[in-house]
Amino acid sequence: MAEVNMPRLSDTMQEGTITRWFKQVGDEVKRGDVLAEVETDKANMEVESYDSGILEQVVVQEGETVPIGQVIAIIGSGMGTHKGGEPKVPVAKPAGQTPAVTPASHQGAAVGQLSAFAGILTQQNSVGTNGIFIKASPLARRMAEEHSIDLFQVKGTGPGGRIVRDDIEDFIEQRAISLAAVPQPLPQPVQPVGAAPGIPEVSTADADIVTLTSMQKTIACRLTESKQTVPHFYIGNEIDMTEVLKLRQELNVALTEEGIKISVNDLIIKACALALEKFSEVNGSYKDGQFVLHKRINIGIAVDIPSGLVVPVIRDANTKGLRVIACEARSLAAKAQTGKLTPAELDGGTFSISNLGMMDVTDFVAVINPPQAAILAVAATRKTFVPVDDQPVIREIMHVTLSADHRILYGATVARFLKEVKHLLQNPFLLLV
Amino acid sequence: MAEVSFRQALNDTLREEMLRDENVFIMGEEIGNFEGSYKITAGLLKEFGPKRVVDTPIAENGFVGMAVGAAMLGLRPVVEIMTFNFIALAIDEILNHAAKIYYMFGGQTPVPMVIRTPGGGGQQLSATHSQNLEAWFAHIPGLQVVAPSTPSDAKGLLRTAIRNNNPVLFLEHLALYNHKGEVPEGDYTIPFGRAEVTKEGKDLTVISYSRKAAIAHEVASRLERENKLSVEVVDLRSLRPLDRETLVNSVKKTGRAIVFEEDWRSYGIGAEIVATVQEDAFDYLDAPIKRVASVEVPLPYSKPLELAALTGAPELEDAINALAPRRRRR
Repeated sequence: MAEVNMPRLSDTMQEGTITRWFKQVGDEVKRGDVLAEVETDKANMEVESYDSGILEQVVVQEGETVPIGQVIAIIGSGMGTHKGGEPKVPVAKPAGQTPAVTPASHQGAAVGQLSAFAGILTQQNSVGTNGIFIKASPLARRMAEEHSIDLFQVKGTGPGGRIVRDDIEDFIEQRAISLAAVPQPLPQPVQPVGAAPGIPEVSTADADIVTLTSMQKTIACRLTESKQTVPHFYIGNEIDMTEVLKLRQELNVALTEEGIKISVNDLIIKACALALEKFSEVNGSYKDGQFVLHKRINIGIAVDIPSGLVVPVIRDANTKGLRVIACEARSLAAKAQTGKLTPAELDGGTFSISNLGMMDVTDFVAVINPPQAAILAVAATRKTFVPVDDQPVIREIMHVTLSADHRILYGATVARFLKEVKHLLQNPFLLLV
Repeated sequence: MAEVSFRQALNDTLREEMLRDENVFIMGEEIGNFEGSYKITAGLLKEFGPKRVVDTPIAENGFVGMAVGAAMLGLRPVVEIMTFNFIALAIDEILNHAAKIYYMFGGQTPVPMVIRTPGGGGQQLSATHSQNLEAWFAHIPGLQVVAPSTPSDAKGLLRTAIRNNNPVLFLEHLALYNHKGEVPEGDYTIPFGRAEVTKEGKDLTVISYSRKAAIAHEVASRLERENKLSVEVVDLRSLRPLDRETLVNSVKKTGRAIVFEEDWRSYGIGAEIVATVQEDAFDYLDAPIKRVASVEVPLPYSKPLELAALTGAPELEDAINALAPRRRRR
């Protein structure tokens, strides 16, 4: 059995306060392990164990102050483990055998330095913030800190991808350029007449601040990227839905017993899927100076959900019958509402449809969902007088607008594609074969 | 300022110091009648006579021991060891006597002696006559070790060495003896432990000493003339005591460093420099410090093999090009 005494940690120290026990009663202790932190008149220091064994008894509890030399703990074989309770040996005795100590702060610094070293020498042993290793020179780390740069945003060009001073300097320069390019919010001019046009800063007074969910962040990011990098153009058309609505009604009556209900959107999905077979660019992507023409036709359907928008995908829609499309669409929409869509159900779309018809929208345009080349915006179907044989006739007219990526699609292609969709929907028996 | 050779600067300094202080005397093999294997002591026997210019037998341990005794009794011996390689015979006198006596005898008597000796390879003198053993001596507390690269530094440091009360190893280099350079007039001295930035630069620092510092200076000056890279050169001049401050400040400025040394790489002077820099300039380092040193073999006699084994300007330039920061390359 060995006693651990309150060590003399400075020349002027008379007593010490245990600020923290690092080992609990019953813990195994090895020689050199830090047992406790002690506050002295000078600093917080660590008390290391001189002995190995089991911490049997903690005599001085956290927050208690005792003179130097007093027993603060007992280390033994474990037979005499004594949890709490009355200290057995609170006998003060001269500080003879003083446990080895290291200033706590010093040791902390040493550990920090060690991991910094590991950061240079090994690829994966050192863990940065966020738990991911970043290889960066000490100078680059210091500069990043001074300039409030997140190293995760910096590309390392040194040996093995190490971030070096050059990379930080590049980053600082680029940041300066992009800050200069973005119109800076100008201070509100006292007299607005003739003031330079600037985007006034969003006032946060009298406003609630909503923190974005990660999905909302993704939407903000992806759609900004789309509008900024994809050259959109838009072509509209009007489709006479009278015949297809009749067909839908007949089908749904026939399918009542099966519990299947085909929506207008299901019919539009099928029509688009068939049209896409003939217009492969509309089902394509523009990538790095090439057209990527997808062999499968996977149609994304935009689904409104409480905190945003998701676009689950119906795969191989051109090969699926209306019955299957209807079932899948309903299932996907239900999953979207409950947040149960899997990544596999959201990936791989080659064309999208956004339908706000049920919201009584006269017409609208949608933002392309990259890397797709086009998205069809579907507005409400309305009874409209149209001339038939120069006589006004009421027909069910639906307005659609296709947003297209001008890098891969041109006006005539899109116009012909819409004409094909229109032809299919106006001759709806074609959707069945 | 007059332009003189390294050899002449040493000869002038020995003569001036012998004139200045009659306790200064020189001792070594073939330094009198023959005027020195490398003619450093030319004319001195004639001028000062055989009591102050002592030709010794070929017995390094004997005459280095005699010098220790003479120094203890108040004289200021300047010993020439014909080449650095022969110093091994006198290692006990240097390590266990010269470097220890002042300490072991409670400061009763200093040992104000200088050992001058030329080292270095490149003369086809083969494995046992071409070595760079400075790390052995720079390792020993109680000794001071200096290794100048210019005639002017040779003069200033030799004066300091002779007037210094500590035992000093004054390291010369065979290939520097004919180097010429401007030497200031007057009785100037250069304090030990003071490195010199011989060329300012921004992109990286080359730290060197003795002949390699001269080569580093040439390479850096050429790169600057060619408008390529801005290389700073730090000439250590003094290996013990080491001027940590100057070399650390230089690396703090450039972020990158090469140690260019003629000795073998493992456990060499460069290892100490690298350790020093990382201790004091860790947060300023942008890349691991490179060591450009000699290949770890006994130096071959054959000229092509000798050239391959010794490090030189091409190796330094390769290292500079490999280490230079991307944005500074033109």
